[in-house]
Amino acid sequence: MNPLGEKYLRKPFLPFLFCPGCGDGMIVQSFLQAVDDLGVIDDLAMAAGIGCSAWIPVYMHADVLKVLHGRAIPAAIGLKASRPSRKVVVFTGDGDGLAIGGLHLLHAARRNIDITVVLVNNQIYAMTGGQVAPSTGVGSRTQTTPYGNLEKPLDGCKIAVAAGATMVSRWSTVHTRQLTRTFKKALNHKGFSFIEVISQCPVQTGRYILGSGAPQFNLQWLKDNCVPVKDPSRWGEVEAEGKIPVGDILQIEKPEFMEEVQKMNRKVKDEAEAKGGDR
Amino acid sequence: MKSAERIEIDRRYCKGCLLCQYVCKFEVFEPGQERSALDYRMPRVAKIENCRVCGLCETQCPDMVLTVVAKEKGKENP
Repeated sequence: MNPLGEKYLRKPFLPFLFCPGCGDGMIVQSFLQAVDDLGVIDDLAMAAGIGCSAWIPVYMHADVLKVLHGRAIPAAIGLKASRPSRKVVVFTGDGDGLAIGGLHLLHAARRNIDITVVLVNNQIYAMTGGQVAPSTGVGSRTQTTPYGNLEKPLDGCKIAVAAGATMVSRWSTVHTRQLTRTFKKALNHKGFSFIEVISQCPVQTGRYILGSGAPQFNLQWLKDNCVPVKDPSRWGEVEAEGKIPVGDILQIEKPEFMEEVQKMNRKVKDEAEAKGGDR
Repeated sequence: MKSAERIEIDRRYCKGCLLCQYVCKFEVFEPGQERSALDYRMPRVAKIENCRVCGLCETQCPDMVLTVVAKEKGKENP
């Protein structure tokens, strides 16, 4: 176990339940590196739903809320409302965050509530055996689309931008150092931050969609297909080539929801006191 | 140039995915025959002298089992 693991992992829960070569372990490590650099492990509160990626926070020595399938974001909003000083992080997968919990993502982004959502996208429903997911590409053969998928995939980053998130990034598990940097930015950002991580799943995506279950092959596929782009306006060109653009998309400042609520409470209280204390 | 004193592989948790061998540009690792506690074939540190302590194998290890221990500055080879 490396020093980071010795410091922050729950030893009785080990080894990770992830398959050999899974990207989720890399995300655990990048996130712990960011937390270690900032020294905020005691301020963290995490929420997760159901899925492989929802197991990521369970291994860390921090407060974790494990909730119903797809309902991690509402639980996190409740957590933030009751403990505004905590840094709330949601770990969710493409099935949890885009399919069953898709609307929660939209409304959390619309309110600009100060939570960080990490969406781990492995392009398939991996834990249940490789069924087609909303993020599966056109033409992919899975257990439930044996002749190729006809549906166009959802783009989580574009949805988050359109819904009003104030920080949006996408990286893959190949870019672990950039991922650590982005986690640090997101933990310090005031507002809704959305980070999509394209991850490899050798056992389901690799075997059924890409053609090989070797972890090396899957990592090479990510390396070849995830193109870092600095300027977000050039993302369309990369997408036209059939590749996945990665990078930071936007970071802006907007009024945060919980602060606005507290401001309104103060205003109402002051007005009532000015009228003579009859509330 | 930095060099490594040793590379530790935790045999309790290694799952033998060999991503360390794949990401290493200096061919430090090779597939080994020894089995870990989870009954996977572990990688073997073959050429420790090639290691430049870039830390890529550490950050890309999905089970967080690798630790690269760098040589202290005074002890480096001339």
